[in-house]
Amino acid sequence: MFIDVLIVGIMVGAIYTLVTIGYSMVYGMLKLMNFAHGDVYIFGTLLCYTLLAQAHLPPLLGILIAALAGGILASMVEFFAYRRLRAVQHRMISMITALGAAYVIQNSSELKWGSQVLPFPSLFPSQIITVLGYQISVTPILTLAIAIFFIVAFNLFLNHHKMGKAILCVSQDIPTSSLMGIPINRIISMVYFLGGMMGVLGGILYSASYNAISLGMGFRGTIVAFTAAVIGGIGSMSGTLIGGMILGISENIISVYVSSSYRDSIMFLILIVILLIKPTGIMGKVEQEKL
Amino acid sequence: MGMAVRINKSRLLVYAGTLIVAIVLPFVVSDAYFIGIVNFIVTYCILCLGLNLILGYTGLLSLGHAAFYGIGAYTTAILMTRHGFSFVPALILSGVLALFFGFLLGLPTRKVRGDYYCLLTIAFGEIFRLVTQAWIGFTGGAMGIVGIPIPEVLGWKIQTEVDFYFLGLALLGFTYGTLSLLTRSKFGRAFVAIREDELAASVMGINTPMYKILTFSIGSLYAGLAGSYLAVYQTTVTPSNFRLEESCLMIIMVIVGGMGNLAATFLGVTVMAVAIEFFRPLPEYRLLIIGMIMILVLLFRPQGLLGASAFKD
Repeated sequence: MFIDVLIVGIMVGAIYTLVTIGYSMVYGMLKLMNFAHGDVYIFGTLLCYTLLAQAHLPPLLGILIAALAGGILASMVEFFAYRRLRAVQHRMISMITALGAAYVIQNSSELKWGSQVLPFPSLFPSQIITVLGYQISVTPILTLAIAIFFIVAFNLFLNHHKMGKAILCVSQDIPTSSLMGIPINRIISMVYFLGGMMGVLGGILYSASYNAISLGMGFRGTIVAFTAAVIGGIGSMSGTLIGGMILGISENIISVYVSSSYRDSIMFLILIVILLIKPTGIMGKVEQEKL
Repeated sequence: MGMAVRINKSRLLVYAGTLIVAIVLPFVVSDAYFIGIVNFIVTYCILCLGLNLILGYTGLLSLGHAAFYGIGAYTTAILMTRHGFSFVPALILSGVLALFFGFLLGLPTRKVRGDYYCLLTIAFGEIFRLVTQAWIGFTGGAMGIVGIPIPEVLGWKIQTEVDFYFLGLALLGFTYGTLSLLTRSKFGRAFVAIREDELAASVMGINTPMYKILTFSIGSLYAGLAGSYLAVYQTTVTPSNFRLEESCLMIIMVIVGGMGNLAATFLGVTVMAVAIEFFRPLPEYRLLIIGMIMILVLLFRPQGLLGASAFKD
């Protein structure tokens, strides 16, 4: 029993990590809280629902289209709602436009899909295998494997590909990167695009393993991403993984052994405690205020 | 040191004129629908004046204001339906309780800054809403609390839309009066100093942490009063009255009017209320429209219509 809860917890943790990666990178780079992140990924996931459950596309094609759509939407949000505000003013301004963008996307998705829970199709057969005497369902294992594949692939891209290295440069110092000839605007669009795409992939894996999707998961996803990013330390990749795992596992243990109706309150409580005790997170660096 | 309140003649005339118009208004246009909208505006003016104190005078972005509104509303609802309180003591206790929670949420301003603080206020607001939904025994869950009795102030039974208008007007007058005295006092100048340059203010000997906590508590107090008013006006309270989008709406009202300018808040609330009313036939587009307004206002006029200053870094 406990081992099942733990496996599902780790699976959810890996999915949360996927959802958080893009969010954490944007924050690390621009110090912008992208409130639209959750609504972007839920838009992509709902689109995937339509493509798979209604248009009956082959799963891989449907997922690819949905992920690309999520990425494009994320970079569109950046272009329309954030870019103009990046250089000049206080970051609270772009926080409010981010919330505005979140509402616009959320409302648009609601017009198309409504706010009720929709039955998301499974991606894997619901088989049960026996490992060392334990009966384990295949779905969480496969989901976990896929999530880890994308996390590793993204890290390889970031550390070894030219584009990925450029992203790391920009997140360290925007003016200097610009002087070194890195096209800042294109890199930032790219980060939003990748973040949106990873978010949609996470959303699809999540919805497929619970066979459910609803609009309400969007805002929740934003908070999950933020909480995981803060727990781990914002902008840090390994921190994101730690944060995602802590959140995923604790959430499942609480849902099963305590009560699922207080699940979200407890997540917010974790967020508050972290913000009060160690706002730089487990793997984060302390930011000194410059005079 | 006494408070230096300078009131010149023209300002006095504006106040007197506004007051007369406000009192005569329901007798000229007695349409219940119209008074309903005006009551909405009055409620949000009380909320947004308090929020403007927080946002405009110390630069703290609070997205949890709806929770204090809710704390006030639930306090009044519970005291009046279950404990036989009459309206005035319930109103006062609602304000006090909101003040207390405002103080608690204000404490972290010493350590947590800027955008993290904003997130803290969101988390607080969401926990409030989730707990009111889940704690059915105390708050009635998603159905809320119904059957809040008719309020009575000094023998005056408040029943019609116009009665509620005058009750709201009295609360609004109290809010605006006390806040404009406060912002023109030594406290108010300290608030402005903190907003303009926190570091410089603290070097000048202003106890910035104390002032921030104080501002946050006082701003929340008014939200508690507005919540109490909402409870008796609607006769029901439900968690859906206090969602994050209400907090966003309040923020955008303050920004549309102009941060750090109390009188401008009236304009901001009225403009937004009229915009919402205008789109009332399209309820399914409500968030879309609020979201668009949030983006457009901040892209093109972040200092608001009559703002004292835009956000400073």
